[in-house]
Order: sequence, then C-alpha cells, then structure tokens
Amino acid sequence: MQHHEEMYDVNPFKPKVGSMVDEVAVIVAILIGWGLLNFGFQALLNLLAETPTGEGVLTRLTFLSFPFHFWFTGQFLPLWFVLLCVIFNLYTDRVTERHNRKRNRTYE
Amino acid sequence: MNSGSANLWPIIIVAGVLTSFIVVGLINKSREGSDYLFAGRYIGRIGGGAAIASNWMSAASFLGMAGLIYLKGYFALAYVIGWTGGYVLLLVLMAGQIRRFGKYTAPDFVGERYGSSTARIVSAVVSIGISLIYTIAQFKGIGMIFAWLFGLDYSRGLLLGAAALVSYVIVAGMLGVARNQQLQYFVLIVSFIVPLMYLAHSLGYFWLLPQFGYGVAIQDLAREFQINFSSPFANGTPFEWVSLCFTLMVGTAGLPHVLSRFYIVPNVRDARWSVAWGLFFIALIYWSAPAYAVFARLMEASAGMPLPSGAARDMADIIVIKSAVMGQVPAWIVGILAAGATCAAFFTSAGLLITGASSFSHDIFYRILNPRASESTKMAVAKGATLVLAAIAVFCAMKPPGMIAEITATAFALAGNTIFPAFLLGIWWGRANGYGVVAGMLTGMVITFAEPVFGRFIPLVATIFPLTSSAFCGAPIVILIIIIVSVLTPPPPEAMRQFLAREVHGHLEE
Repeated sequence: MQHHEEMYDVNPFKPKVGSMVDEVAVIVAILIGWGLLNFGFQALLNLLAETPTGEGVLTRLTFLSFPFHFWFTGQFLPLWFVLLCVIFNLYTDRVTERHNRKRNRTYE
Repeated sequence: MNSGSANLWPIIIVAGVLTSFIVVGLINKSREGSDYLFAGRYIGRIGGGAAIASNWMSAASFLGMAGLIYLKGYFALAYVIGWTGGYVLLLVLMAGQIRRFGKYTAPDFVGERYGSSTARIVSAVVSIGISLIYTIAQFKGIGMIFAWLFGLDYSRGLLLGAAALVSYVIVAGMLGVARNQQLQYFVLIVSFIVPLMYLAHSLGYFWLLPQFGYGVAIQDLAREFQINFSSPFANGTPFEWVSLCFTLMVGTAGLPHVLSRFYIVPNVRDARWSVAWGLFFIALIYWSAPAYAVFARLMEASAGMPLPSGAARDMADIIVIKSAVMGQVPAWIVGILAAGATCAAFFTSAGLLITGASSFSHDIFYRILNPRASESTKMAVAKGATLVLAAIAVFCAMKPPGMIAEITATAFALAGNTIFPAFLLGIWWGRANGYGVVAGMLTGMVITFAEPVFGRFIPLVATIFPLTSSAFCGAPIVILIIIIVSVLTPPPPEAMRQFLAREVHGHLEE
C-alpha cells in the first residue's frame, strides 16, 4: 500500500512540482488569450449593439477599409491563433531546455 | 441543379492535375520507397506544416466555407474562427502528449489508455461515423464540381465523380503511389489564390494580396447596393454564433484524421512547430475565402440581383467557381480553380474512406469478429469496407441534407462530443477510466443526433443541441459524465496511471 501512496495521479488542478507546473501555467495563459479575444470580442459586439442585427460602434468603425468587427474576426483572429501557437512553442521550448539539461536532447 | 454545356478546358486541367499527382507519386516511390499513406522521409517543420494543411483542406474549406459566407455573411465567419482556433486547443492541450503517448488513431489511444475493449469499439464506431459524415460532404462537393464540369445534373455528376474517385483510389493503391502532401498544398494554395487575384484585378480592387484587399468591396456593397454584408447578428443569434464556433473548435481538436498527423515529423518539438506552420498555411486560404463570397455578391448585385435567388442558393456551395465564371476569368484559370477543389475533395475523401475502412478492419473485424484473421484477410476486409463506405456516402449525398460546411460541422460536433472529451481527460486526468469514457461517448453520440431525433417532441433540445453546434453544451456534459462515472467506479490499471505520470507528463524529470 505504501507504493500506492507514492503514486501520482495526473490532474491539471493539482500539478506535481517541476515541469508540469510550468506546463499548466503556460497552457492556462494561452487558453485565456484564446477565449478572451475570440468569445470576449463577440460578447463585446453584442453588448455594444444598437440594433437587433448587431450594428453598433464596432461595425461603423473601419480598419484597413474593412468594417472593424469584420476585420477583427475574419482577419485578425486567425492571425492571433497563429501567434498564440508561436508563443506557446517558444515558451515550451524554453521550459523544455530548462528541465531537460540532463536528458538526451533528441528525446524532445 | 443546373445542367449546361460541358467545360472543356477545365476538364482537361482537372484530369491533367490528377494524373500528374500519380506520376509524381510514382517518381517519389521509386526514389524513396515510402508507403502510400505517410511519406517516410524527414520533411522538416515547414514541410510538416504543409502536410497538416493539405491533409486538412477539404471541399468544406475550399468550397463550402465561401458558400456559407456568401449566404450568411458575418455569421459564417464562425467557420473561419472555429477551424483555425481549434488548432490552438489541439496544440496546447494534446499535441505533445499524444505524441509521447505513442498511439495515433482514436480507437488505439482510447483502447490503450482506458484498457477497455468496449471503449475501443465505441470509439471505432464513432471514427467510422465521423469519416462517413465527412465523406458525404466531400461527395456533395465532388458531385457539384463534376456536374458543372460536364454539364450534367447533380445526381449524374455525383455518380460520375464518385466513380472517378473510387477508380483513382484503386489505381493509386495498385501502383503504390506515394502521397506528396507538400506538392498538394502548393497546388491548393496556388489554385485558390491565383483566380482570386485575377478576379480582384478585373473588378478593380487591390489584387496583390487579394485576401486583405476586399474591404473596399464590402463598403461598396453597402454604399451602392444597400447590402449590409457584415451585419453581425443578421443570420444568427450570438448564442448560435458562439456555439457553432466552439463546436468546430473542439471538433478540430478531436478529429481522428487530424490527431494522427503528429508522427510524420521525428520528435515532439518538430511536431509542435509543424502545427504552428500548418495553422499559418490554413489561415492563408481562410483569409481568402470571404473575398470570393464578397466578390460574388458584388457581381450579382451589379447584375441586378441584390439577394441570392433560389437557384443561386442551390449553387452556393460552388460559389467559388461560379464567381470566377461570373467575373469572366479565362477558362484555363477557372480550370485551375476547379482542379484545386477536386484535389481537396478527392484526397480528403480518399483519406477518410481509407481511415474508416481500416478502423473497421482492424478495430472491429480483427479485434472482435475474427481475431485469427490473417493480414491478407484484414486487407481484403479493408478494401471491401472502403467500397461499402463509398457506396453509403454516395447514397446519402444523393439528397444532400445541407450545405457542405454544415454537413461537415455535424461530423465536428460528433468528434467534439465524443473523441475530444475522451482524449482530453485521457491525457489530463489519470483517474478517468473505461466505464466513464464509454458512458461519456455514448451520451455524446445521443447528444449529437438529439435535434433530428428528439427535437420535434422537445423543442428545448433543438435549441441547446443544434445539429451543427451541439458540442457547445454537449462536450461539457460529456466531460462531467466521464468524471462522475469514473469516480463512482474502480480506478484504471495502475500501470497506465504511472505511465501517464512518468512518460506523458513526467518526461522532463529525471
């Protein structure tokens, strides 16, 4: 039974010390950035709507000659997702290097 | 749908492009001896990204997306966002861990992780279901392209296209053609962007980067024709937008043929970076799709048709090709566009049919029906299952239940309600067990089809689980069920929990 107590069960809300703490921290940060800009913007669009079809200040503004909301959703958000992936990868590369000095690098 | 005259140049170009893929595949094969499904050589991060993108690009991306934007404007941007944002979920929650776990098909992962053959069967059934629904959408695209190419009605176009597809798969399989996904992506992006450049140029808009220059066209639509194309909630409530978008995202992260992309690169780090490149390559096409839709509306409005007519609605799924024809783009450029669309639909449905059939042969026939079957029997079953799946898909595509992108979205909802929760908890919660995942996935299947089955009797069901968007409420419910049932039943095998802690998450510790 002693062995059983030592065993760690994977659980993101109770990450064990070491690399998994860093891993979970960056995942949470990326997911917040992912949800906030996407779902948050749609919520804002809805909040600022003046007509039932959603016209408002965000649809009247233009950016790069697009209506702002159309540009933000159709063009900026896909770019933002690419950026999130790049940030995640750069960060994970760093975490991996920090925790991985003793291991053979080809493993990662 | 329409029948007109045959389009000679486009037919020649489509046939030429498909043939050249076989020729290139044969040259690759004799040089490297790689197998049919996965290129065996090291292709690097960018190459891996191109492979992810070309594997992803289907008739839904190439045709269906622009079609829905053409009809529904801003509402359909939920497809653009859902099908790109899902990759963020896939990358941060699963990519590295699946790679370290070492099982790449959904039934293999679920069966191994949960140590349950019931769970394996359920996920095999789900995988086959997803492949089938996805293929129906591809077949609708193929049918419409072939109908347009040869000037036939839709059902004849579908039969002709399906026959061409099946013979293509058989010929490629018999010759052992290697699949060159980098070349495939190159063909797709060129065939999508070049006609769009021509179109933008001839309509007098910024053509060098047409995917970023069509903003003026949206304003012209509003100013000259009083068409408010970008109106946010004209075609759907905020709830409908968000639930569709979320469903497509979790579906992307749970789609079996996407998950299996992580082992074409040699290590976890390259796998991660190839996802980022892949998403960028996908975005290049998704930035452009709305431009086709806007130009089509603009040309129709100038021709005195401010709203798509009934006939135009029927043809909306090939609005990409139609807008090139309306814009008087030269026939050979339209041919290139049609060739890109045909490639996207052909390679996706070929891959899906093979995935579904091998899942049947390996996970259902071999594991359950006949464990003593030889390799050649398994192969024969897989080939037979490919044909059966293709026949079912043709039958269902005869009377298409919706737009290409909508049919595809149903497959995403099924993936998001079943495989996504199974993978998510399988990776991130050691305590999740076989009972939980079986209960959860069965619930997910019921939720996915709740609207057509129960919607008539219980209107509330149709509101919270719409067929294309059921995973917004469905996936959290399924996750909850897996957690509750797992806690109430015995924990999974200790060896698996240790494997998860040590190898999948503890890979960096000493």
